[in-house]
Amino acid sequence: MKRILILIGKIIVKLLRLFKRNAGNLPGIVLWHLSRHKCCGIFKVDCPIIAVTGTNGKTSVTNCIAQLFEKSGKNIIINREGNNLDTGICSLLLRHCDMSGRVKADYLILETDESHVPVVYSQLKLDTLVVLNFFRDQLDRNGEMETLIRKIDGFCKTFDGNLILNGDDPNTARLGRANPENKNVKYFHAKLYAFATEKIFEASEGRFCPFCGEALEYEYYQYSHIGKFLCGKCGFGDWQPYVTAENIDLEKPEFTVDGHTYSPKLNSIYNVYNMTAVAAAAKLHGIDGKIVDDVISNYTVKNGRMENFMLRDRKTTLNLAKNPVGANMTLRVMNEMQGEKELLFVLNDNVADGLDVSWIWDINFSIFERVTRVVTSGTRAYDIAVRIKCSGYDAAKIVVRPDLDEAVAELASTEGRKFVIANYTAVQPTRSALKRYIEKNGGQTDESN
Amino acid sequence: MKAIKILHMYADMLDLYGDGGNMEILKYRCEKRGIGCEIEHYSAGTAMPDFSSYDLIYIGGGADLEQQHISDDLLKCRDGIVNAYKSGTFLFLICGGYQLMGKYYKDADGNKIPGLGLFDYYTVAPESRRMRCIGNIVIRTRITGEPVDVVGFENHGGQTHDVRTPFGEVVVGNGNCSGSSAEGYFEKNVIATYLHGPCLAKNPEISDYMIGYCLERAGATEKPAPLDDTLEKKCREVMLERLTRK
Repeated sequence: MKRILILIGKIIVKLLRLFKRNAGNLPGIVLWHLSRHKCCGIFKVDCPIIAVTGTNGKTSVTNCIAQLFEKSGKNIIINREGNNLDTGICSLLLRHCDMSGRVKADYLILETDESHVPVVYSQLKLDTLVVLNFFRDQLDRNGEMETLIRKIDGFCKTFDGNLILNGDDPNTARLGRANPENKNVKYFHAKLYAFATEKIFEASEGRFCPFCGEALEYEYYQYSHIGKFLCGKCGFGDWQPYVTAENIDLEKPEFTVDGHTYSPKLNSIYNVYNMTAVAAAAKLHGIDGKIVDDVISNYTVKNGRMENFMLRDRKTTLNLAKNPVGANMTLRVMNEMQGEKELLFVLNDNVADGLDVSWIWDINFSIFERVTRVVTSGTRAYDIAVRIKCSGYDAAKIVVRPDLDEAVAELASTEGRKFVIANYTAVQPTRSALKRYIEKNGGQTDESN
Repeated sequence: MKAIKILHMYADMLDLYGDGGNMEILKYRCEKRGIGCEIEHYSAGTAMPDFSSYDLIYIGGGADLEQQHISDDLLKCRDGIVNAYKSGTFLFLICGGYQLMGKYYKDADGNKIPGLGLFDYYTVAPESRRMRCIGNIVIRTRITGEPVDVVGFENHGGQTHDVRTPFGEVVVGNGNCSGSSAEGYFEKNVIATYLHGPCLAKNPEISDYMIGYCLERAGATEKPAPLDDTLEKKCREVMLERLTRK
């Protein structure tokens, strides 16, 4: 039966390729139906599987871990295109297996959607699970945060492989207690950085101990609910770190792990956490120090994550914000910058964004400094306009332009520094609109990346 | 004019889906009119406030776990809240706050969380956590005397039964139960609803109803002065057009 499914799957992949269609997900969807929803169980994988999950940073960390092994001369398979559901992973394996379903590689490195971790790895044996963080994101698709964590917690109860957890996120650190028998739980941790706060800065999840309900005590908050926490009542949070990032200096940027100083290309605390997770995976799998340094120091992104454009002579930075945490980070970067600036906020409510846009009310707009004008766009252009207005920002300085090209033209119509925040499905259309503007009116793309 | 005093209960635990935004909006709409708006917070286990001294008490929504955590504490506040409600303090309740004022809330694991029993309704969450009422919702309310279409977002597992005086009739969406025709609970000084969004974001009439109520109770004779709601109204119009398009 499994061989027949593999054959059918391979034929679909071939056909899609013949017609130059994307085979990233469709073959998996067909097999999902034919295999009674167990489309990953038809493969034979003998090599270790490393999975990366969490709300933010999955793609970055997956790519970096893949590079660690690639540069070590290993043959790896990775879902680079971000097809991270069971059907996407099935489609990936279909392209890499022989007719008996055997997948040949030294390692599989798989970005995996949070809600699909139990689904996929009840069918495929997992070696290492890296869990980065859990934030409010697309809650209406996944149900409440608690439901999501419980699903993964349920999986971890019987998992005895390597579990690499963000020790500074109570939502992920709690998974370390799911299976008391598992001796392979490792926590990564980052010490206080310059913009850490004593009080919580942004709305967030998980301020209470999941085991006894007591309010968690924080030594410091790095951002959102990520920080050094401890439950005064039951001791949750008293883990020993496996790797620690210290001497974090985002101006340079620099940080140290296990005595080695890294100089990454990206200067956010996000990136420090992501790279600390990468360092933990590297340590666990005995990767050569030079390779780790090479990967961490050179990692950068060009997909609307702090991407720079010149609209004629106006420097413009685009950043993706899928959730309040991402948006608040961009506002912080914007505020820390001298001089006047204008903001374009593009808000969509397509299925992949989560249909509910109420998360924008968890963005702290009251911190706006020297923001002289706001343009809003996207399918929910008015929602974000109302939200910014009610934070106390002068309504007369808000311009609503649901059409993206009009919004970009409006933004570029004045001089000065520009910022653009776009949510998930808005990012690529926004990049395209910025590029169209540049083609027509002059300027530059990818100026400093 | 005197300031409106608001008590925001459990803001640190019941704060899903931007519900805190409702407070920001009420404050904004008061201050635009030169009316003071003081928002105080109450967290579980802290000193018991004088509930009756507030013009409005607000409770937002939370996940099951958070609701379990606060229910014991809420019961301790019962007498204070009942007295405040009886003396005319406005109760503005979203989702979890709405459910916990009823007789009880039975969660997906079958745990029965007792409510304050202030009102006769009760809520039962389906056993499957996948069965949730999720989506944009439009309800038509007549609390101001005129029909007003209120647009928000519902996301709840709990099915609320035995509501005698709903907040509005459902135009698009689910309401109190999956596919039901009524949404929320209403009395002169109570608005209880499943609407997030937050609820007040594009429905300025609802904010102004509550502000008007508080002012009138304090002895004011005039209605709240009109504000420029162009953005809010356009925002609602765009969503109504999209959601009710046949």
